[in-house]
Amino acid sequence: MNHKKKIRRSTIRKIIYSVVVWLIGILWFVPIFWMLTTSLKPTTTAITENPPRWIPNPITFDNYKAVAKAAGGINVGRSVWNSLVVAVVATIAGLLVSIPAAYALARLKFPGQKIIFWSYVAILAFPSVLFLVPNFFIINRLHLMNTFSALILPGLGGTFGVFMLRQYMLGIPRELEEAAVIDGCSRFRILTNIIVPLIRPALVTLGIMTFLGSWNSFLWPLIVLTSSSKFTLPIALVRFSAGWGDPYRGIGPSMAAAFISVAPVLIIFVVFHRYLMRGVSLSSIGK
Amino acid sequence: MKSSLPKHVRKGVGAYLFLLPHLFFFALFVAAPLIYGMIMSFHDWRLLGEPRFLGLENFVRVWKDSRFWDTVKNTVIFAVISVPTTVALGIMLALILNQKMYGKLWPLVAFVSPAFFGSIGILFSWDWILGSQPAALANYYLQKIGLINDPMSWFKSATLAWTWIIIITAWWIVGFSVLLYIGALQRIPPEQYEAAKIDGAGPWKRFVNVTLPWIRNVMFFDVARHVLLAFGLFDQVYILTAGGPAGSTRTMVYYLYLVGFERQQLGRAAAISWYIFMIVIIFGLIQLALLTQSVRSAEVE
Repeated sequence: MNHKKKIRRSTIRKIIYSVVVWLIGILWFVPIFWMLTTSLKPTTTAITENPPRWIPNPITFDNYKAVAKAAGGINVGRSVWNSLVVAVVATIAGLLVSIPAAYALARLKFPGQKIIFWSYVAILAFPSVLFLVPNFFIINRLHLMNTFSALILPGLGGTFGVFMLRQYMLGIPRELEEAAVIDGCSRFRILTNIIVPLIRPALVTLGIMTFLGSWNSFLWPLIVLTSSSKFTLPIALVRFSAGWGDPYRGIGPSMAAAFISVAPVLIIFVVFHRYLMRGVSLSSIGK
Repeated sequence: MKSSLPKHVRKGVGAYLFLLPHLFFFALFVAAPLIYGMIMSFHDWRLLGEPRFLGLENFVRVWKDSRFWDTVKNTVIFAVISVPTTVALGIMLALILNQKMYGKLWPLVAFVSPAFFGSIGILFSWDWILGSQPAALANYYLQKIGLINDPMSWFKSATLAWTWIIIITAWWIVGFSVLLYIGALQRIPPEQYEAAKIDGAGPWKRFVNVTLPWIRNVMFFDVARHVLLAFGLFDQVYILTAGGPAGSTRTMVYYLYLVGFERQQLGRAAAISWYIFMIVIIFGLIQLALLTQSVRSAEVE
């Protein structure tokens, strides 16, 4: 009897605790809720209504329609496509160059290995701003200014992915490969047929992180993109909202565009948060 | 042909074939820029026209430029406040999320997912919330709970602007730290807490004696990461204040952006980036030293 009471009391405690944390979470997420709410109102009511209304009445999708076609010289719909193409290519290319490099550093022996590994690690501690100016010049020299290549290629030299995959590969027992070595499998076959399937979780993690990094990137595209047909979503967002002159005159469409930039990330987070968590933990190990 | 090479050389060449695709981009966009950046900083370097050798002039001019040191001061103050705030907030939220509760996915989404959102979208939303009109969300609710009497222009004074930049930044990026600390907390064996409880240790004592030692390494990593982030502060200033009022929220990177890409003085901007690099290193070392000391002394107690 007493025992049952104790269980019930701890259950009640857990319920209260959960509700409190949920409420704090709702408060914490207000900027996202407000973005969505505003995007579903006509701009005029969004600016003037007092008190602020949380459920728009009536709900309108005009802002999303406005954003889908070119408005103020900026085509947000197109920039979404640009961002998507750049992020997908950057992710796939990033994985393709990082996987073999990580394998070489984790499993093979070659002269200069230590130097290369430690420079890869050391570079992670460098502020990225150090590369901004010279890379701008290098991209200009390669005649890649205002191209998607300018957005994709510099990221392929990043060492975080290589480092992370190497750490993960080190955790794979060597015995799994030894049988293949005895059978005379080439190293390439070992990598594609044995290692890659085993590190799939790490690949998903790295893929998501690369995708999001590219999707969200702002300062670099701001510098290397000049024509509006090439703009990625964050750049288009800034130019688009600046195009209205008065800061809040285009708040409805701006919030719609902002929500379009956030929504895919939200979905990715809900679906893949376990992978992201592993990626975050992996990034800190060995440091 | 094959047999004429010693085996370990052949193996080495094979390994380099695996490394080569990445090494190529690393050399081109990571290693070369370091060297290029050095060379550029000694020149009057623009996108068009021949670079002109200046020796140390860029460095001297930046050194004597009071506007640059103002941005250094701004950024350091931001880092000093924002880094510990974010780290502490991250640990706190991780501790909250690490308790048993129902429907954990929602708080995880709420506290953590913003860290994966792009800066521009969320900054637009915050800017809209912090609008100066009476019906803007912040003005309306802060008046309602009596925190302010009249509608405010939140970015009109330096102190207020910085306060909001710090709050917004912490809100935005803390999620990554939360994930780090949740990972670390889950590695702590529960028996250690039981033992501490039996010894009569209160919640604070348990935190210092059990939790802190287990999350210490992750914390060092987190601090180093936040120092890097803090010294890279750009997007928030670009969107929310454009460096104002009167240059009071200009940061080092914002200044570099103005010099390098608005005025196109790449050589001087390269020199600025080396200054930033030095400042980050110095600050990072001081931070880690202080942190090591404080964690040690906390554990000794």
